[in-house]
This record gives sequence, structure tokens and C-alpha cells, in this order.
Amino acid sequence: MQVTRESALGQQTVGGLTVAPRSRSTPPPLVLLLPTVIVLFVLTIYPTVYSFTLSLNEWNMSNRLATWTFVGLGNYTNILADSRFWNAAQVTGTFIFGTVAVQLLLGMGIALLLQRQVIARGLLRTALLLPMMTTPVVVGLIWRFMYNPTQGILNYLLGQVGLPTPNWLGSLQTGFIAVMIADIWEWTPFMVLILLAALQTLPQEPFEAAAIDGASAWQAFLHITLPLLRPTIVVAVLIRAIDSFKTFDLVYVLTNGGPGTSTETLSFYTYKWGFKFFQMGYASALSFVMLIMVIIFANVLILVTARNRGAS
Amino acid sequence: MSAATATPAPTYAGGRPGAGRRVLGGIVRNLLVLLVLVAFMFPIFMILMTSFKSRADALAVPPVWIFSPTVSNYTDVFKLYPFAAYLRNSVLVATLSTLLALIIGIPAAYALARFRFRGVNHVQFWILSVRMTPAIAAIIPLFILFRRFGLTNSIIGLVLIYLTTSLPFIVWMLTRFFEDIPRELEEASLVEGSTWFGAMTKIAIPLARPGIAATAIFTFIFSWNEFLFALILTSTEKSQTMPVAVTLFIRETGIEWGYMTAVAVIMMIPTAILTLLAQRHLVQGLTMGALK
Repeated sequence: MQVTRESALGQQTVGGLTVAPRSRSTPPPLVLLLPTVIVLFVLTIYPTVYSFTLSLNEWNMSNRLATWTFVGLGNYTNILADSRFWNAAQVTGTFIFGTVAVQLLLGMGIALLLQRQVIARGLLRTALLLPMMTTPVVVGLIWRFMYNPTQGILNYLLGQVGLPTPNWLGSLQTGFIAVMIADIWEWTPFMVLILLAALQTLPQEPFEAAAIDGASAWQAFLHITLPLLRPTIVVAVLIRAIDSFKTFDLVYVLTNGGPGTSTETLSFYTYKWGFKFFQMGYASALSFVMLIMVIIFANVLILVTARNRGAS
Repeated sequence: MSAATATPAPTYAGGRPGAGRRVLGGIVRNLLVLLVLVAFMFPIFMILMTSFKSRADALAVPPVWIFSPTVSNYTDVFKLYPFAAYLRNSVLVATLSTLLALIIGIPAAYALARFRFRGVNHVQFWILSVRMTPAIAAIIPLFILFRRFGLTNSIIGLVLIYLTTSLPFIVWMLTRFFEDIPRELEEASLVEGSTWFGAMTKIAIPLARPGIAATAIFTFIFSWNEFLFALILTSTEKSQTMPVAVTLFIRETGIEWGYMTAVAVIMMIPTAILTLLAQRHLVQGLTMGALK
């Protein structure tokens, strides 16, 4: 009797896909998500709350006896009045704008160049990946080697063709530009790669139509290529901007924030307050200001990504 | 002779318009490509060349292009400095943090890709914002907490802290990869009596293997290259990784360029190989799946 009941159940399983399997197959998403949620909670939410509490206090970590002193929003009002913070914000902003703009222009030029390249295109594309995948600290050291004012290859070459040979990393006029050049070298390949991939998927019809209408290559680029690439360009620029906002490694290796404070980015300035001056309250407040800025960037990126996915 | 010199002009002007310009354009384009290649490869070439130079040749002015190569820089960094330990730390940290992030992240990505539940978008947004968080903002509280729990200057501490970036990256990327796999195969196996766990491990994960491999490679490279967390959390060769170790060559008195370039080359080898392996998914990996 039991046997027949079992077989009846079995038949039901095969017949009504929805009934029997669901009880077994509806997996609790929670079980799968839980480890990730716990780990990220412990590593991000809890520290964020901790850090925000700390930002309302004053605490010198280097003094073993020092305790937290509640100062309310004092750290935040101090930030607003801190000219070195505004300098760091300006350095970071100029750095983002300068590097990303040059990377986009150079990247577009090189991508267009490679798109028409017949010989060894794959090889060229692969070679261009190297700067981007090189450890950022190593990128900094490579450039520091080349920037060496007396023994570096850069000034040697400049001297050979009779150009001025500046003290690249040591002077106020060139320090910031030198860091930007290293970043541009490292990340222009990112733009090339992304734009080249997008260029290769563009439809041919509009270009054929434009050619029949007698449009010049420049007109075709301006009125067909650019509008079609716009979503790609927006995503690439945003991602580079978010990464550029965090610039630390290059500054640490190349200039240590100097000369003066001319290359002191927000990341580097916050690092100094936290791990050079050990003022953890003020450093936490600074990091919170950075966090808010990044969240704004990230929201824009998510909106754009969602729109791109919706369009395709 | 006169005929030969006379012919090109009319051809250019009338018969085949633009033929000459096209040839010229081709030459210019190839020269530009060469220029681009030199600009981006030359610094790497310099490092590679210098790593095989003797100390005297390394900083000679004018630079020496032809020299008798030596591997003494490579052998010296391991003899004079604890680079064997730094290398071991880097390999351990990058491998373990990648594996751990995969084990924790794959099921989460599968759940986000396959099941509609309330708050799924919030979870996704949260994961992405964690990824965007500046390292300096994360390290301040984590350093204080890690110090309290004795996790500073330890491999385990680094492995854990790298989860803050690698885990959201893996979950975000693999969600996209799982979404691209048709769910019919899993549904069929469920009908045949398999459990959801079986459907995930026996069908979905094997099908997503190329995506998982590429994502793992990116995660590995990220941990391999990471500097700020390691700089703050580690203090001796017990746990210092290669990026931190290589900056130890920067001293007030100058930099040992021969040693520095040798270490730089050692650090570039794994990333170069892995990048080649993951080339097909590079655009996806670099844009967090925003572009393919």
C-alpha cells in the first residue's frame, strides 16, 4: 500500500512540473547570499558606522593614553575651513579632469588609428595592455627612473634635441604634470581598448550612406561615429574618473605629495592625517567627505549603465 | 625617362583620384602606429634593459645601449633582501583572497542572477558602492579594528581586507555571467529530480567557467597589485607584499635602480601572462560589466 502511494506521488512529480519540484527546487536565495552579506557587513557597514562615530571625535592614535573626545561636527567644520583640504580637492579635480580628458582624446585617436590597421593589429592591441596591467607602484617607479633630472633617459633625450631639461619631480611647475603624464601613460590603453571594441561593433550602413552622400571622413566621424560611441564614452569616462579620484600609489612613489602640496590628492591628504599625524578623527571625517563624493559618482554610473542595458 | 616622370602627374590629377594620397596616408598611418607603440613600450623596455645592467651601466650618461648583460640584480635581490618572503606573501595573499572570494561570491552571484526577491536591486547597488569605496576610507576603521584583533602584519589580515574589493567585484561580474546562461538546462534538471544545489554546481557553474576564470584572473591581479592596504597593514617581511617591498628601495640617498627594475620585472611577469589569458573578457572586467 505504501509502495503504490509513493509511485502515485512520483507520477505527480513528472506530470505537474510546478508542484513537487518547487518544494525542493525553490532554493532559499538567502542561504546563498548570506555569506557574502555577512562578510560585506562585517568589512564595510560596521566599519563605516564606526568610522562615522570616530569622525565626530578627536583621537590621537599615536598617544597610547589618549581617548576619544567628542567634538560633534567640529571635524567637519574644520575641513570646510582647511585651506589644505581645498588645495587637495583642487589638485584631485584638476588631476581627474586633465588625465581623463587627455586619455579620452589620445585613446580615441589611437583607437581610430588601430581600427584601420591591418598589419599586426592583434599584437599591437596586446602590447598596449601592458601599461594598464602593470602594478601602479611599478608604473610610478618606472617614471621616477625616467624623470631623474641628471641621469634619466627623458632629460637625456630632451637635451639631445636641444629642449629644456626640467627637474621633473622636484619643481613646482612640472611636478603635477609629471604625475599626470605617468597616469596618462598607464591608462590611455584603457580608453583605446574600450573604444576600439566599440568601434568594431558599429553598424556599417550609416557610413556607406554617408559616403554615397559625399560626406568627408571628418563629417562621418562627427555625425555618425561620435553619437554612436556616446554611451561607451560616458561609461569609460566615469569609470576612469572614479578610479582617478582615488589616486594614491603614483603620488606616493613619485612625489610624496610635493613639491609643497602641489600633488597632494584627497587620498594622499587623508592618508597623511591618518597614518602620519595619527589624527584619526579628522582623517575619518575627511574619508567621509570622499565617500559622499564617490557615492554621487557611483550613482551616475549606475544610472548610465541601466540606461545602456535598457537600450541594447 | 621623361614619360615616366610625366605619367604620375596626370594620374594623380585625373585618372585615379586620391591614389597617391592613399599611399601617403598609409605611410603616415603606419608611422603613427609605430610612434604609439614606441611611446607605450619604451618605458617597459627601459626597465627590462636596466634590470640586466650592472650598477655602473644602469645610470651611465649617455645611456649604454650595448652592454654585457648580467643577472646579478635578480640573484642579489633574493640574496641581500628577503624577496623570497615578499614573493611568497604576494602569491599567498593573491591566491587565497581570490579563492575565498570565489567560494563566498559564486553562490551569491547565482542567487542574484536566478531568483527574483524583494530588495534584489538594493543588494546589487550596495555591492557596487562597496566596490567604489576609496581604499583610504575603508582602511581607517579597518586598521583600528584589525589592530584590536591582532590582524595587522599578518597574511590572514590582508586576505580578509582584500575581500572588501574582490568580493563585490566577483559577485557583480558573475551575476552578469550567470544571467547570460539560459536557465532551461537547470530547469530541466530540476524536473528530473535534481536539487537546486545540484543544478547550480553541476550545470550553471561549469557553464559559467570561462567567466569565472576571467573574473578570478582580474581578482588575482588586483590583489597582486594592491598597495595602500598592504602599506598600512603590514610592517615586516612576515606579511609585506611585493608592491610594498619594492618601495623600500626608495631612500633619501637614492634608489638602487638595478634591484628595483629586477623586482619590477618579476612583478610584471604574472600580470602579463594572466592578462593574455583573460584578454577576451578584458573590456567587461575593466568596466564592471557596463560594457562588453
